[in-house]
Parts: sequence; C-alpha cells; structure tokens
Amino acid sequence: MLRPIRTLAAAAAAVALVSACNSASTNGTSPGGTGSAPATTRGVTADSVKVGGIVSMTTAGGYSKKDTDLGAKARYLRANAEGGVHGRTIEYLGAEDDGQDPAKNMAAARKLVQQDKVFAVSPMSSVTFSGADFLEQEKVPTFGWGTLPAFCGPRHIYGFNGCLVPTPGGTLNQTWPEGIGRILGGAHGKSVAVIANDSDAGKFGIRTFQQGFTSAGFTVSYAKASVPGTAVPSDWSAYVKEILSSNDGKAPDAVVSVMQTPNNIGLFTALKRSGYKGLLSDPTDYDPGLLAQDATRQALDGVHVLLQFQPFESDTPNMARFKADIKAAAGGKDVPLNMHMLTGYMSADLFLSIVQKAGKDLTVESFQAAAQGFSDTGTLVGDRALPKGQKDSFGCGALVQLKNGAYEVSVPFKCYEPIPFK
Amino acid sequence: MGDLLVFVLSGLVSGALYALLATGLVLSYSASGLFNFAHGATAYLCALTFYELHSGLGWPAVPAALLVVFVLAPGLGWGLDRLMFRRLAHVGETAQIVATIGLLVALPAAGLWAVELLADAGAPVKPAENRFGLPGVGPSPATSWQLMEGVGIDSDQLITWVVTALVAVALWVLMRHTRIGLQLRAAVDNRSLTELRGISADRLSSVAWMIASALAGLAGVLATPLLGLSAHDFTLFLFVSATAAVIGRFASVPLAFAGGLGLGVLQNLVAGYASFAESITGFRTAVPFLILFGGLLVLTRRARTAGIAAVDAPPVDHLAGASWGRRWGVWAAGAGLLCVAFYTVTTPFWSGLLAQGLAVALVFMSFTVVTGLGAMVSLAQGTFVTGAALVAGLLMSRGWPFVAALAVGTCAAAVLGALVALPALRLGGRSLALATLALAFLADQVLFQLRWLRNGDTGWSVPRPVLGPVDLSDDRALGVALVVLVALVAAGLSALRGSPSGRAMLAVRSAPAAAAASGVSVLRTKLLLFTLSAGLAGFGGVLYASYNTRITATDFTAMTGLVWLAVVVAAGVRRPQYAVVAGLVYAVAPRLLSDYVTESAHLPVILFGLAGLALANDPDGYCAAVPVRRARRRAAASGTSPSPGSASQGVHSRRSTPDPSGVPLPNPRAWHASHSDGADAALELRGVTAGYDGGLVLHGVDLVVRRGEILAVLGPNGAGKSTACRVAAGSLPVAGGEVRIRGRDATGDGAVRRARAGVLLAPEGRGIFPSLTIEENLALYLPEAAARAAVYDRFPRLAERRGVNAGALSGGEQQMLALAPLLQRPPEVLIADEPSLGLAPRVAQEVYALLTELRDAGTALLLVEEKAAGILGVADTVAYLSQGRVAWCGPRDEVEADRLTDAYLGTGT
Repeated sequence: MLRPIRTLAAAAAAVALVSACNSASTNGTSPGGTGSAPATTRGVTADSVKVGGIVSMTTAGGYSKKDTDLGAKARYLRANAEGGVHGRTIEYLGAEDDGQDPAKNMAAARKLVQQDKVFAVSPMSSVTFSGADFLEQEKVPTFGWGTLPAFCGPRHIYGFNGCLVPTPGGTLNQTWPEGIGRILGGAHGKSVAVIANDSDAGKFGIRTFQQGFTSAGFTVSYAKASVPGTAVPSDWSAYVKEILSSNDGKAPDAVVSVMQTPNNIGLFTALKRSGYKGLLSDPTDYDPGLLAQDATRQALDGVHVLLQFQPFESDTPNMARFKADIKAAAGGKDVPLNMHMLTGYMSADLFLSIVQKAGKDLTVESFQAAAQGFSDTGTLVGDRALPKGQKDSFGCGALVQLKNGAYEVSVPFKCYEPIPFK
Repeated sequence: MGDLLVFVLSGLVSGALYALLATGLVLSYSASGLFNFAHGATAYLCALTFYELHSGLGWPAVPAALLVVFVLAPGLGWGLDRLMFRRLAHVGETAQIVATIGLLVALPAAGLWAVELLADAGAPVKPAENRFGLPGVGPSPATSWQLMEGVGIDSDQLITWVVTALVAVALWVLMRHTRIGLQLRAAVDNRSLTELRGISADRLSSVAWMIASALAGLAGVLATPLLGLSAHDFTLFLFVSATAAVIGRFASVPLAFAGGLGLGVLQNLVAGYASFAESITGFRTAVPFLILFGGLLVLTRRARTAGIAAVDAPPVDHLAGASWGRRWGVWAAGAGLLCVAFYTVTTPFWSGLLAQGLAVALVFMSFTVVTGLGAMVSLAQGTFVTGAALVAGLLMSRGWPFVAALAVGTCAAAVLGALVALPALRLGGRSLALATLALAFLADQVLFQLRWLRNGDTGWSVPRPVLGPVDLSDDRALGVALVVLVALVAAGLSALRGSPSGRAMLAVRSAPAAAAASGVSVLRTKLLLFTLSAGLAGFGGVLYASYNTRITATDFTAMTGLVWLAVVVAAGVRRPQYAVVAGLVYAVAPRLLSDYVTESAHLPVILFGLAGLALANDPDGYCAAVPVRRARRRAAASGTSPSPGSASQGVHSRRSTPDPSGVPLPNPRAWHASHSDGADAALELRGVTAGYDGGLVLHGVDLVVRRGEILAVLGPNGAGKSTACRVAAGSLPVAGGEVRIRGRDATGDGAVRRARAGVLLAPEGRGIFPSLTIEENLALYLPEAAARAAVYDRFPRLAERRGVNAGALSGGEQQMLALAPLLQRPPEVLIADEPSLGLAPRVAQEVYALLTELRDAGTALLLVEEKAAGILGVADTVAYLSQGRVAWCGPRDEVEADRLTDAYLGTGT
C-alpha cells in the first residue's frame, strides 16, 4: 500500500473504533457509577422488560450448560403468550456465553448492563460468577443456579432453588441423608462412605455431608476428599479397597459420591466389579442424555441420584406444563430434558413471579421490595421463600434411581426441615 | 502384593497412552526442534472425529479408528508441518513455544466449530458437550475379566495394551530396519549433515510429523473411553507425558516409550500409597506435576540454560539513536488520547473494557521483563497474579489500606517468583517453560487450595481504592490511573534496559560465559529478572483484581498464563509498549469480533490460534513487524541499489543481508580466468560474495575444479575457507555471484539438491553420525549390501566393528568411515573442509592417499587446509585465499614459498 493510503486507512479504522465505542452511548445513565436516583428503571418500558442471560455454553472441558438458555426461553415465551406481566412483554435477549472463563463472565455482565441495558439477568448459570459484584453494585436482579457463594448474601442475586452453598451459622439441606435413610429403611445402625475430589471444594463438601449424614443418624465410616481433581483416574482399586473395608473391615451400607460424572462412572463401575451390593448415590447424574451411551447406562445402573427439583418422571400439572413449554420453545420437537433446562426455566419463573408481585410500577426498588417476603408453594422446586432463599436452600428434593435404562423416582419430591450448619 | 499388581497393571494403561504421546513428542521434536504443546489437542481432535464417525455417522468402530489414525491424523500432521512447523524450525524458541500454544486452543475450537457447522448443515453429527462413557474401539460397555482375587482387567485396557505393544514393535521395525527410519535417526543425530548427504530434512520433517500425529491420533482414540471429549483433559494428559519425553531427552524414542509406561505405573503407585499426604489438600491431584517437575530437574542435560538466546537474534532497531519524540511520540500521544477519550467519547461499557485492557497490560509487561529482556519463557505468570491478589485481598479483609495491601501482594509475588526461579533457572528453553508450567499447576492444586489463603469459592473482595479526591470505583478514573501507571512502568522498564543492570541482563542473555568473565553474576542476574517480573505480574494482578473488585483462586489459572504468553508474544515481547497493545487487543478484540464479525464462540479462538502462523514470518510479533517492515521499505525506496547477484537468486536473497557497499570486481589476477572454458569444470564459483548476518566474508571469489583434479585452497584463519566450502555445498546462500555445476547454474539450489547433483561436503570435523553404527553410517550412502560388503573388504578395521557406534571410533577411523563409502561410489565433486584436522601425520597421509584415489576415480576435489605441508603433495592446483579473496591461483608446480608466506601474512595482494 502507498503511505498516504495506509495513513488514511489507519485513520478510518481509528474513527470506526471510536464510533464503535460510542455507538451504544444512547441515553446515559451515570457511567460506571452507582446511580443513586430512587427509581431505577433500566430496561423497563411501558410494554416491555429487557432481560439477558449468562450461561457457559462452550468450554475446553467439554461441559456445557447451554440448554439453560432454552429453558429460560421456554418460560418467557409462555409468559409473553399469556400477555406478559402487567402488560409488559419480556424481551429476552438470549444468553451470553461465558465459556467458564471468569474474564468473559465479567465482560458478559458488563455488556448486558452497560450496553444492552437489561433490567435483570436471568438465567446466570456457570461455574464462575466474577460478574456478581458488578451486578450487585449496579442493582441488577440476577437469577440462576445457586451453586456459587455469590448467590448467598448479595441483595440482588437469587438462586432459583435457593442458596446451595451452606455457610457456617446457616442451615444444611437434609434431602440427601433423609432420602437415603428412607431407601435403607432407617438411618440408625447404617453406615455411609462419602468420597470427593482432592481440592478445597471437595474438602468442604465432605465437611457438610459428614455433618448432614451424622445428624440424620448414619455412621459415616469413610469421608475423604481423595480423588485427584484434574484427570480422571484410570484405576480405582485403591479407593475401592479402602471404602469396602472402612466399616470395621466390612463394606458400608451406602457409598455417596460428591464428584462429577466421569469420576462417578469410574468409581461405581469399579465398586460393582469388586462385588459391592450396597446403595450408590451421587448428586450430578440426573441427565437423560447419559442414557444414550451403553457404558454410562451400565455404570450408573441402580444408582440413586439426588435432585433438588421435581423429577421429570413425576406427573404433576407443573411438570406437564414445563414439558409442553420446552417442546414449544424447541420448535415443536421432543428434546431430551435435562436439569439445565429446568435451571433456566425456574430462574425465569422466579423472576417473573417477583415481577408479578411488584405490580404495575416496575422499578428495581419496587422489585426488591416485592422480593422481600415473597413466598409461594408447590412449584417445581418446592416451597419458595425470600429472603430465606438468599441464605439457605429451599430444602426440597427427591431421589431417582436408574433402573434398566430409565430413571424411576425412588424417594418422591418433598421439602425437609434443614439443620443448623456448624 | 495383589494391590501392587493391580496398581502396576492399571498404571500401564495410562502409561501406554503417555508412551504414545511422548513418542510423538520426541519424533516431532527431533524433526523440527520444537516442543509441540498442541500434541494433546491433536489427540483430542482425533478423539472427536472418531466419536463423530462412530457414534454420529454410525460407522463401525474399527474402520473409523483406522481412518482417523492412518489418514486423518497423518494428514493433519503433514498439513501443519507444511504450513507452520517447517518454517518455525528457523525462528527462536519463544516463537516456537507460542505458536504451538496457539494451536493448542485453535485445534479443539476448529473441531467443535466444524461439528457445529455440520450440525447446522443437517449432518447426523452429535453435539460434543456433556458426553461421558464414550465407546472406544472395543465393546461398550467394556467387558471385564477377573484374573485373580482383586485383580481384574477390562477390554478397553486390554486393547490399549495390545495396540501399544504392536506400535512399539512397529516403531522398532520402522526406526531400525527401514531406510526412512535410518534417515530419521541420522537427522536426530546431525540435521545439517543429513542435508549435506542429499537427504531432504523437509521431507523427513513431514514424515516425522505424520508419524507423530498418527500416534497422537491413536492415543486419542484409545483414550476416548477414559478421558471423554475434554480438550482440557487431553492437554493435561500431554503435559504429564512430557515427563516421558524428558526421560528420553527429546531424542530417544525407546527411552521415551519406556518412560511413558513407567510414568503411568509410578503415578498410580504414588496415588495409591499417598495416604501419608492426606492432610495436604491437592497433593494427590498434583502428583503428575510433581513428577514432571522432578523429572525436569533431574534429567535435563545442562546443555543450554535459561536465558540464553543465541537463536533469538534481536530485530534491527530502526529507531536507534532517534530523538525521544520519534521513539515515544506516538505512544505518548496515544496515552493522552486514551485519557481524554475516557471522559469524552467512550461509553461506560467501553471505558470498562479499556480499563480492563490496561490492567491486563500491566500484567503483560511482566513478560517483557522475563521473556523480552531475559529470554526465559515463564508459564507461571498466572500464578504470581493469583498469589499477589489473594494476599492483597486477605490483607484488605483485615482492614489494610489498598496501597499497603498492593505493596505486600507485589512482594509476595516477587518472593514466589524467586522460589520458582531458584530450582528452575538451571534449565533452559522448553525445559524451563515446562518446569514453570508444572509449578503453576502445583500452585493451582496445592498452594491455592489452602483455605486461609483462598477463602473457599468466595475469594476476597478487593474494593477499588479512593485516593484523596479520586474515587477509582468510577471506571473512567480507574482507566486514567491505569494509563499513568502503565506509562510509569513502561518508562521504568525502558530505563532499566538502558541502565548498567539492563546491559548486564542483555549480556547474560546473549553470552553468559562472556558476561561471567566480565564480572556479571549470571545466576543473580537471572534471579533478579525473574523476581522483578513476578513482582510486576503481582502488581498488575492486584490492580486487575481491583478492577474486578474480587479475587478467587480460580480466576487466573496455569492455563490462563499459557494463553497470556501467547497473546503477548504475538504482539511482541521486546518492548513494554507492545505489551500494552497486547493487553488492549486482548480485552477489546473479542468484543469487536462478536459484535461485528461472528456470533460463534469458536471462530475468535481459531483466529487467535492462527496468529501463531504469523509468528513463523515475524517472530518478533506484529507490533515490531509493522515499523521494521516500514523502515525496511523506506530504506529500499530511498535508493539503496540491491547487490548485483540478488536479482537472479530468487528465494535465497531473502535470507542474506544485501551489502549496500557493493561488490568488488573479481580479482583480475585470478589465474583461472584465462584458463577456464567451463566445459570440463565440475564445480565453478564465479564472483561469489557471501557472508553471515554480521557482514560479508567472501568478496568475489572465483574457483574452478575439474574432473579428476584436486584443487587445494589454502589460507590463514578467517580467510573464508569454510565459508567457501559451505557456499560450494549449498548450505550457505550466496549474496552475489554464481555457482555452476558441470556448466549448469546451480546458484539457487540448496544443500539437498547440490548433494543429489553429486556435490558432497565433508564438513570440518568428521562427516559422520556419531550415534549411528558403522553399518548404518555406510548404509546412508550405500543402500545396497553388496556395496557395503566391498567397503568392508577394503577396510577390514571397519568390518570388525560394524556394530559399534561411529562416535566410539578414533579420529582417523572416523575420517576413514566418512571417505570409505565415497570410494565405493565416487561423487562428482567432493568438498573436504580440513580433512586432516586433528589427525596424526601418519593418519593424515592415509587420508590424503584416499583422496588421491578418489581423484583417480574421476572425482573433482576441493580441499581446504590451513596447513599447506601435506596437501601440496597431492594437489594439482592451488589457490590462496586471503581476506575473502583469491590472492593467487595456479598449478602446484608454480607455487613459490614466498607466495605462500605472503598469502598467510595477508600481504599477497
């Protein structure tokens, strides 16, 4: 290129960049600041409410929650089909992909608020939530899967089934110990082994479940965060051997894994091969997609899986409506259901329920006021109550068992009394 | 005892996969000298393809696996070699590491993107996410057998063992009993010599990459049931198998293979018996990386140590000596504009993005110190960032003010840096990179799992500071503050570079021995660089955390550090301002791409990965490339005429530096000019000028050698004799003039084509492959057994020791070995560079006798010697070379003693 042309091209690029930076600068709310005006109506017009989402869709780890987006869409579609909330339709922008990357999570939160000017973020489902502080500071009501500490405490952030990270001084959800106790015909005199990954999070999990199972009456014979956290072991014999002799040389009545699917497949296969006949349970493997592979179906056969929402197998009207909504949102196709859809759906549902309660005059302030003291019962996640749900789990759950290639409800969905977490 | 057996048996499963991957690493390393960080990504891509073919398109498992391993994977290796690796072989180690890191992220993204596109097009592919318990080649679910009480195996394990054993045998046959294997081993031994023997290193490189990729593909297919479809897990697996490649010292395939198997077993044993470490959270997780780090420390040869970058020649500084305004004007103006923009044009969103870019830029400048100034590749910068930010957050939660927490955090990172550096500094190049990577993983998995330090998943709040009237919680204020900080750090680093310590650092970088001799402590200098860089990374890290207002232990992982390095090096690592550009691009580019180019999450990743390709052309990064290219073009336009020969040289003129001073005319006194008719000249150099980057060595040399003639070239040290040899053999391109073989212009031919045309060079020292046996050395030139038998008849000493490694022979025997096969099949031209060097006079006479015999067989010989005594007895023609010119040339009987003296004293012209 000739020099003058290059200079011109560079200048044009610079202008384009500046105008790109500037293109979204419409009506300016106070930039980066907190905007202390009493009524925050960002994203709200007379006939619409703008909502965005943040979901991990593409990751290097091969784990994706992208169906969360479909679930949310399904719920918003129904709300709009019913005429919206107080005459306002929900303008759902779809979910930003954060790729499980903290930097992208933050960038997605900032984009939704500062560029797209959404009223709320729902759903937000990821393994990282670095945008939490920003959303809280900008007063953005945010709804999602409460597996991260940011769902416990901040005023504008809500877990769709409560805060799932127990905090000392808070409470522990007893669904799992009580449910397993029911299957075994009572907890007393029964022993359980709990195993987790060798990481700080694994250790914390061990600590909570050890307390939960003990106070439900179990003897915890093995509780170790011992499985390497990065690569799945090719050999489980060391763990199996230790577990199977932990109950005074005998096998425990139940083995509970708080690990992810690939680890569970390995562990459960190894336990079965060494002749273990007791109860197996984990909290992650309720995914009908897993049934597509023969290997997973066999490995997980007989396993009781904990879920903190109504199983897809139950036949309540709520569930029937959920299925119909998902089908409609998927363009009339029968898609296999999974928990990510339910996460998205119920995040949207909690948001809509509070908008409904906030009434005609929707501002962040009126929304927050409506959230305080919000409660309802009999939803797909049981009885919801705020602000309790910003500190504790809603405390409801069920167990399903995989049998001959299909999930069956082994302990029906129910809400349990939580215990104090020490 | 049963336990032990089980641990060993099942350890052999992952061991087999390590062995396959490590073998590929060694092969590709020996082919092009680069450590392929993307090897695991290749395996992942193959696993993904296998899964889609088998589960998606419904192919039977075995044909799908065969297609992947024998067609797709080698094809990928071949393509990447042609596009990238072959060219990367000529650039510095940093660019090599970074280019393959780019591939590491680009390949999986490309695979997933392809799946996405195919699905959109209606192909029956299956999504690649959330897939577990995937079928391998065997039955799924795997059949299992109980061998004895507590010891069982399943079909997947059995298949892995059997296939790996078959591969081991096949590799052994390939390397030991085929010609291509022999050539590969020769190339590992001495790459340039293989070229001089007419074996194309490029072709070998292709073959090696194809085999390496096929092995990765095989590992991918076999590992599918174990690892599923996680690119991340495949890459972790690769890092572990790097230990096995280290055991094989990146040169020995059998050692690497055995090392891989042993590694799997060792890892299993440690994990199985590590109950002593139960109280240390993360210890078991970290076992592979402990082994990797330990292996590197124990096994790495002390050949090249950290921070020596002989191949990393710095680019020309076209602004050397320019005024401050020319050097810094653009950057200062940019900074000023940015500050103004914060308060005028940019929206809150873009202010935030730019502030983030500036915070990252502070971290990125730490690479300018450690990699740019120190020539050390550190993959642990993410660790320093996390460490500093966690410490600062911890202190702020105890009520410390921001500035104090920042200072302590920075110091903590510096201390961490020194701790990482102390054991790692004796390593060099890729070993140092791998060691820092291992330490980064160790920090992630053990250090940052400490609850008091990480505070669970909550992490620490790092509120933005309020400095007097300035509240940095406003993104614009933070942005301006960061511009000031970035400018200060950039100025500081530039001052450091120009200071005595900076010069000491550069001295250590390019010539540690000389630096040590000048009183510079090499170790202390490197330690200082590493510590400074870690501290700077920590400083930037605390500010980045305060931009985010929170730090959790998983915000910046070892893998983040890897990607950061790639981003910085792609922009340029030698000047701090390039790091700022890299930071801004890193923050802004993804948003611009997704807003204006594509919605796909994969495409930007692919583009980023392909930036590595650009490094093959501009190893100093795009920031440096722009001004350097412009300066070069300006210089070209301002009327410097190109040197006379360059127009006709085509590709070769690119690598040589044209000499603007012009080329002197050929020596008018050259004897051959009246003599030569060119017809019977086997090799002719006409007016050749040639040299190295530092300047010209030959200033118009004319030489002619005919069939059946010995031309002896004499001259003192530094006269240009070896350069003339290399030019004649084609391993050094000419800057001007012409090289003709049998009257044909061969100026543009490289060493391989010259060798194939019958022009062989016996380089200074011994032209043999020391790690190959005598038999194998002979077989490289004489593939037929009968011809080798004839050589053995003639040289019974070689016959007796045919199975011995050539390196074990005496100097005379080695020279004999180099010449013996030539006698059997005389070449057109033999160029011998000091064939008598280091030999006893009697042995030298034997060598000369062999050379005479070659002449009688019709070979044209060009012999270069420093000592005239022996060679004058055999030469037909003699040329004196002095200061890059032929001072005299004529028949031997016209040689006069005083001419000789003149030539040596350099007074002959």
